[in-house]
Amino acid sequence: MAKKVRLSELALARSGDKGDISDIGLMAFNEKNYEIIKKQVTPQRVKEHFKDWVKGDVRIYEMPNILSLEIVMHQALGGGATKTLRFDQTGKAMGNALLFMEVEAD
Amino acid sequence: MKKVKIAGCSAGWPDMLDPAIDVAKKSDVQYLAFDHLAELTMAILERQKAKRPDRGYIPDVIPLMRNILPAWKEKRFKMVTNAGGANPEQCAEEVIKLAKGLGITGLRIGIITGDDLPIERVKELKAKGLKFKNYDNDEPDIDRVMDDLVAAYVYIGADRVIEALDQGADLVIAGRLSDNSLFVGPFMYELGWKYEDAYWDRIGAAVCTAHLLECGTWSCGTCSNFWAEVPEPWHSGSPICEMDENGESIISKVEGSGGLVRADTLKEHLVYEVHDPENYLMPDGIGNTTAIKLEDIGPNQVRVSKLGDKPRGKPRPDTLKFCLAHADGYISEYIMIVPGPKAYDMAKRCEDFFYKRLEIVGVKPVETLVSFIGYNALFGPTAPPINYEPNELGIRFAIKTKTIEEARQARLQATLSWYAAGVGTAFGAPSEREVFALWPSLIPREEVPTKLEMREVK
Repeated sequence: MAKKVRLSELALARSGDKGDISDIGLMAFNEKNYEIIKKQVTPQRVKEHFKDWVKGDVRIYEMPNILSLEIVMHQALGGGATKTLRFDQTGKAMGNALLFMEVEAD
Repeated sequence: MKKVKIAGCSAGWPDMLDPAIDVAKKSDVQYLAFDHLAELTMAILERQKAKRPDRGYIPDVIPLMRNILPAWKEKRFKMVTNAGGANPEQCAEEVIKLAKGLGITGLRIGIITGDDLPIERVKELKAKGLKFKNYDNDEPDIDRVMDDLVAAYVYIGADRVIEALDQGADLVIAGRLSDNSLFVGPFMYELGWKYEDAYWDRIGAAVCTAHLLECGTWSCGTCSNFWAEVPEPWHSGSPICEMDENGESIISKVEGSGGLVRADTLKEHLVYEVHDPENYLMPDGIGNTTAIKLEDIGPNQVRVSKLGDKPRGKPRPDTLKFCLAHADGYISEYIMIVPGPKAYDMAKRCEDFFYKRLEIVGVKPVETLVSFIGYNALFGPTAPPINYEPNELGIRFAIKTKTIEEARQARLQATLSWYAAGVGTAFGAPSEREVFALWPSLIPREEVPTKLEMREVK
């Protein structure tokens, strides 16, 4: 049976904002991990992970040149840095929060 | 082959000043570029200018120039900055005053204006039929907040920067010049690229590379997953990029500085806030960040080259990013810390206390958020149920209200939970603040005529 691991064992993350959009760059450590995250880190799973903190669509783009995914989450920052009530106004820790999501690894 | 060397000297406001001063003194770059503006900064500067007409620019420009101009006198590098903010003319005035005091002559300054639109102009454009759809929430028309607008500014491209350099500017001072264009301007000017079909691939490369430089020391390891191993990040070097006429470059940093330049640290910046990686929209061109190859070629030296045959860029968009800031009520916050044992139960009780008190005093917030620092303040609903006994927990109450009176009242009720119930401690809590919400939209390029004025320190 495939074992469950946190994304932090497979990749690094870096997140930022533009308005109410939170972007997470998820950077796999190697080709094998890139294949795993490409298959399992889906818009639906990301949305489930963030629950009501991400209210809009999630789109995921592939960056094979640097073995990374660009995860773009809409209406994801409580209205955006200037009006959100969240402590992390620009969502710099959204990437860290994603690293706690579990996926199946061989 | 023609080449140009440029350093990324600032990531925002405020930022460390010494890495910029260091690069001016110790390196052989031809250009220093300074980005000081985050998304909301223009609205803040606009408000400062409304109160005092001689404000509204980034004050850091003064200590920076005081330390950098003496090096300029000898080396004659060129500088591009968006420190002008909401008041580039006044910013130039202050720099001229400073330069005279330092005995500097012959410094030519290009001043770019026209990026911030008076509210009256927004009304005119509305009357012409532009609706300014909100790209955050898809609201189709800005009507609802028209009366609350406080600032409106356009992210302009490098056109006027190129013109200023062509007219011999040593220092270009702009307002909401896009972070990216601070670099793309000098690349295009020095390497002879035009906004024409033959150049979009190279301009695209410049757009992607500029993205690696615009956050200054961040891409040299100061904002990095590798931070724990970055050598001496407290005096991190500014990134230095040597770009050739094919749009390929080598990124390094100042000799002897702290920090770390590695394909890994640049990769972290390549993924940062780009949305669609194949269509990184910037005013000077659309970059394709997936067509870029990053490769370590030596200690603190990374080569940025073209990957395969994929085009690195497409023609610049017909519209420009347009941010409208509008007043949107008030936020108040209060932070306290509860000690254990049973800190979590105590914190939950404080949360109940707070909501009951709001009911009793009749404050009806627009929105509230109570979070526990040490548990879910950053992770929100992704935090798993607490299954450990924390020594202590911070509680943060955040309240959004329509009026400042309600914001004050709500904060007072939050404070009561510690001194009425005696469960924690709190000092120096933040006060109420006025909220300016951003309404991100687009505007046709032709509706934003910019202006260049040249001045010289005699």
